[in-house]
Amino acid sequence: MGETTTLYRAKKIQVTPSQFFQPGEILIQNGKIRAIGNSIKTPKGCKIIEWKNSEIYPGLISPGSSLGLAEINALRPTRDLSEVGTHTPAIEAWVAVNPDSELIPVARANGITHSLIIPMGGMISGTSGLLQLHGWGIEEMVIKKRVALHLWWPGHGLSIPQPSHKSKTKPKSIADQDKERIKRITEINEYFDQAIAYQKLKQSGDQSFVQIPSWEAMIPVVEGKVPIMIHADESRQIKAAVQWAQKREYQIILSGARDSWKHADWLAENKIPVIFRHIFSAPPHRSSPHDYYFKAPGILARAGVSLSIGLPLGGWATANQRNLPYHAAHGVAHGFSREKALASITIEPAKALGMEKEMGTLQVGKHATFLCASGDILDLRTRVEKIVIQGIEVSVESRHTRLNQRYKDRPRR
Amino acid sequence: MISSTRAFLFIGVCFCLLKPLYPKTEFPYPGDRPNGITLHAFVGGDIQVTPEKKIRRGTLIIRDGKIEAVGKNLKIPDGCREWNCTNQTIYAGFIDPYLLSGSENPKFLELNHDEHIHATADLSFHGIPSTGQDPGEKGPGFEVSGVHPQRKLMDGLQTEERKWGKLRKFGFTSAHLAPSEGIFRGTGPFVLLSDQEPNELILKNEVSQIIAFDPVGKKSSPPVYPVSLMGVLSVIRQTILETKYTNERARFESKNPVNLRLMPHTGVRALSRSLGERKSIPIWIEPGSCLMNAKAMEIAQEFELNNPVIIATGDEWRNPKISLSPHHDYILPMIFPTIPDLPNPEDWEQISLDQLRAWDHAPSMARLLNEMTRTISFTTSETEPGEFHKNLLQSIARGLPENSALASLTTNPAQICGVDKICGTLEASKLANFFIVSGETYFTENPRIESTWIQGRPFFHYPDQGVTDSNSTEKRNEQTSKLAQHPSRLNKPVLRPTSVLFSGFNLWSCEEESILLNHDILIENGKISKIGLNLKTKLPKGCKVILGKGRHLTPGIIDCHSHAMILGRVNESTLPSTAMVRIADVVNSESINIERQLAGGVTICNLLHGSSNPIGGQNAVIKLRLGESPNKLIFKKAPQGIKFALGENVKQANWGDKYTTRFPQSRMGVKMFFQNRFGAALFYEKKLKNAAEQGLPFRRNLELDAILEIIRGKRFIHCHSYRQDEILVFLRTMEGFGVRVGSLQHVLEGYKVADEISRHGAGASTFSDWWAYKFEVYDAIPYAGAIMHERGCVVSFNSDSPDHARRLNLEAAKAVKYGGLSEMEALKFITLNPAKQLGIDPWVGSLKVGKDADIAIWSGNPLDYRSRCVQTWVDGILFHEIEASAERDKKRADERLSLVTKAQQSLKKEISIEPSEKAKSKFFRYSLESACDLYPHSCRSNENHAQCLHQ
Repeated sequence: MGETTTLYRAKKIQVTPSQFFQPGEILIQNGKIRAIGNSIKTPKGCKIIEWKNSEIYPGLISPGSSLGLAEINALRPTRDLSEVGTHTPAIEAWVAVNPDSELIPVARANGITHSLIIPMGGMISGTSGLLQLHGWGIEEMVIKKRVALHLWWPGHGLSIPQPSHKSKTKPKSIADQDKERIKRITEINEYFDQAIAYQKLKQSGDQSFVQIPSWEAMIPVVEGKVPIMIHADESRQIKAAVQWAQKREYQIILSGARDSWKHADWLAENKIPVIFRHIFSAPPHRSSPHDYYFKAPGILARAGVSLSIGLPLGGWATANQRNLPYHAAHGVAHGFSREKALASITIEPAKALGMEKEMGTLQVGKHATFLCASGDILDLRTRVEKIVIQGIEVSVESRHTRLNQRYKDRPRR
Repeated sequence: MISSTRAFLFIGVCFCLLKPLYPKTEFPYPGDRPNGITLHAFVGGDIQVTPEKKIRRGTLIIRDGKIEAVGKNLKIPDGCREWNCTNQTIYAGFIDPYLLSGSENPKFLELNHDEHIHATADLSFHGIPSTGQDPGEKGPGFEVSGVHPQRKLMDGLQTEERKWGKLRKFGFTSAHLAPSEGIFRGTGPFVLLSDQEPNELILKNEVSQIIAFDPVGKKSSPPVYPVSLMGVLSVIRQTILETKYTNERARFESKNPVNLRLMPHTGVRALSRSLGERKSIPIWIEPGSCLMNAKAMEIAQEFELNNPVIIATGDEWRNPKISLSPHHDYILPMIFPTIPDLPNPEDWEQISLDQLRAWDHAPSMARLLNEMTRTISFTTSETEPGEFHKNLLQSIARGLPENSALASLTTNPAQICGVDKICGTLEASKLANFFIVSGETYFTENPRIESTWIQGRPFFHYPDQGVTDSNSTEKRNEQTSKLAQHPSRLNKPVLRPTSVLFSGFNLWSCEEESILLNHDILIENGKISKIGLNLKTKLPKGCKVILGKGRHLTPGIIDCHSHAMILGRVNESTLPSTAMVRIADVVNSESINIERQLAGGVTICNLLHGSSNPIGGQNAVIKLRLGESPNKLIFKKAPQGIKFALGENVKQANWGDKYTTRFPQSRMGVKMFFQNRFGAALFYEKKLKNAAEQGLPFRRNLELDAILEIIRGKRFIHCHSYRQDEILVFLRTMEGFGVRVGSLQHVLEGYKVADEISRHGAGASTFSDWWAYKFEVYDAIPYAGAIMHERGCVVSFNSDSPDHARRLNLEAAKAVKYGGLSEMEALKFITLNPAKQLGIDPWVGSLKVGKDADIAIWSGNPLDYRSRCVQTWVDGILFHEIEASAERDKKRADERLSLVTKAQQSLKKEISIEPSEKAKSKFFRYSLESACDLYPHSCRSNENHAQCLHQ
């Protein structure tokens, strides 16, 4: 990391979502922030960088993507984002990240400095890692392993399909379907109970103990050392998932959370962090208003929920991670304050991922990870001009800027 | 019109009467049990002679299977077997005019959206003479799947005692057996629902030629043409044209000596009877959805089909105005969706207003159709008779008059089936088809039917004494009411002023000048009439004034690439050229996307066929006139267009291993394919000229008609394209035919060949920043729009997604971010430029005096994320206003809540009859009009587009 001391001067520095210096100065040393303010006393030998027409923001944190795991989603050889099996807690998403994915610099060029890399497939899909979008190889880039265990809550939907004359079986009744969904929760409990039993057996030193990778991966989870990110969208799933976690006293993060705004007060009261990924989802019913989900972030934030904004998960959204600030921005015209919108892509995801001491704001002592932009980072017209990650100025070039340059310069025909 | 129908009916009836009406077992063989005598008198009962006429304590005399006399105080002939009918009522036997038949488990057509797109290989092009294998029907006839008008159900007729016996118990005595498979399905006979030999049952050999809008091709594996609704409509048109051509040619040849006469094949011969002057077999249409009813009427008009009978779906409440007509007879199924008993209160959240409306409207449909159509008849198809009866009573409780209900079961079906001379009433000389019910009326919860008589033969029912207590035969007069509303109540303009002044707005004219601060703009009769400062002084009378207060006003947004309001599949993904299919046939005026996109300032959409074929279907440019019919949404001035496509999608690169044999499979073949079809069109043109010169009948081909229009400059190509090489090759190939391409769609590598595109003169309609979703878009860059613009191309940003269409203004802002364009230039990417690409810029796309008043108003700068679209005007009519839209949303939410309450209360009542599986599942089925909103299509992914947008 950078040994020298560097001072950046900017038109404005957004320290936290609610605090800024205009004009601002930020002093960094060894990749950390040493001082910040309107005007800082410049140490001897300090390098001074003038960004006088620009604004500095903390690096943006994407609370979930398949960056590095999916290159071109339509092409199977380039997909590593999902694994076979319904219960695979030992799967580690960060081990398969391609550090030279073309998608990474593209995301970074718009100020995304970190993304949680989430494994997919099955009900318990494994654990995620936090990727810093700069570094030589995955060992430098993965700055936190085992951020969370990922549990994809089973669906609660009820429906009666068209009776088919091909299959002789009658469609399942609503009552039977209800029984089944209760059974599925019982099965989740059983899996966690088995993990606890395994952990106790291991502690007891009994000779019958055999080391099993899946159960090993569950130990930090049942011991409460690794939180569980529960992916649940519908009201029914959200309620069931939160109640399940409360009963078992697990720390959870709610992800997806499409209907979470309907339970905003309850989620705030129970201090459940929420990652909302549905601002641009189609409203659920034809009769639902066009802005049904545009309003959701505002409702959640005003209720006091600790709210992050993310893109939908999966391969299709990977290439669009750069649009994270616009997913947050879209709530602003619909009751989401600009301050909370900024928080939802900086300090809130940092908190949810247990990294608030290192990142998320530009307070002294944290990583010197920030971006410099031509204006408001939430504005779609704003250009990101520079990126600094842990004190190192990182290129904002990408496949896109290279191709742009090449063809802009093509001689006229 | 009516007189010719009558004439036909008469012919039909004469034909019937020629048949022996009396069973041949008159003199039984030794050992056979003889039938009873055939002279009966029914005395003392009430006789419902016609739906309107009831005789109290009358007499009915039947002889040899026919009614001899009916009346009061009739003299009873000697030797008559006398039946005491005191305290009983006699009704004419019920008629089912559309008893689905002809397969093991016949079903109504249910048009719906499938999640997957399929395609197939080994197909010849529909309509091109003698190419390759027969893709559809085996044997002689039309070469398209599902087109077999020559099939006669009569030929394989067998009694279906299990089904018919149940129907008799509820008073049914005869039915039209309707074929249930295919598009041109053939004909079915009119039969007695008796248990005799099939020969004895048929009263009429062929009732009607049934056409169903059934995308039959999707049932094949791999799927064949047609798999889409627009494909079906093209098949119908082409088939009728082929038949007409064959007849014309046969007539021509009969007058002109030719060596080898054309032999019309069996399909043509069969269908000819329904076309032309004589029309001996009428056409009935099962359209399969509410909006398709209107399309059926249109097709009937286009080909002069004499107001066909329409088989309704029960979904007509969605838009009664266009789906119901006083000039048509309708047949209504009685399948009512059943509300499920949901275990938890939260489960009700998943139930939509649409589902609840379908449930609550169902019992009111009979009354609605009865009021709005020429006649209505009921069918029992896909219902159990007990369920049918229960639903019939519910319909009466909702205000269907009892005599109308009776007519719908007797005289109306008799008339449409052309058997009204022999069935339907208890008048003398008609067939002795009737049933006898205890008590005063049939319309009770548990009618006690003593016996059903078919052609004078009795079937006794021995009703269970235990079940039937005296109360249940008593009539219940309890009326019920409908809570659900019609969508039209809310799908309508907010305001329709003749003139409006927008005063003090920041005008983004999208013309030469920059943003006009604090200007006025005057709208009169749907057009922009003045732009300037201080127009307030001379205003037309009654002019509405809207104050800007610093707000921004832009032209309405034009989305140059949309699939958001298309019914029944966006891709006819079977044939590599589907130039004959028309999006205009399948515009979904009921789509919720119309109001959602109006709320984002969009006023015009270019609805395009998908990108599965090198030559896709014809497009439709529509204006978002909320609440109007599909035809009125269409922007009539817009030049015709067609979708083309290149690259991975058309060569089926991502369709799976099954799809490797359709030509083309490479970009090499794509080029050759275009040359082939354009060459075929030129050859066709030559034949057309030749035929015209020599006065020969000409075989029209709807595919080549469309391609010829392209060559003649009357149809714009909108071509889905990605890679620089394919773009160039395509432009050059088209130049070879003298064609200028209207727009290149997506054109993600267009920035690499911007000069060439610009010189050719094609528009470039691209995405703001999508990339890397498949290999051919790995080089897509967000700077593309700006580079192409700098080099002289007309550039637009499109949505290709109902989500992005809600926020195209913010997509445009990205052209400022990535290309450094001015804000006005960026806005032109979604207004004037797409208008130019579609050839509609003389009327829309900018704020200019004389242009249509298609306008969006924004709370702030439209490129700023903090701004909202507060008003959207189309043709000077206000369709979206932020508070009015919120009010509308609230009304829907309230309606939904009250329907949930009603549904929950209805569950507490005792249910007398266990609903059928069909009725239970119907609650969870989406109608065509709503299903298409739930699975949005995007050209970005053609394998599983639903996944693309939901993941």
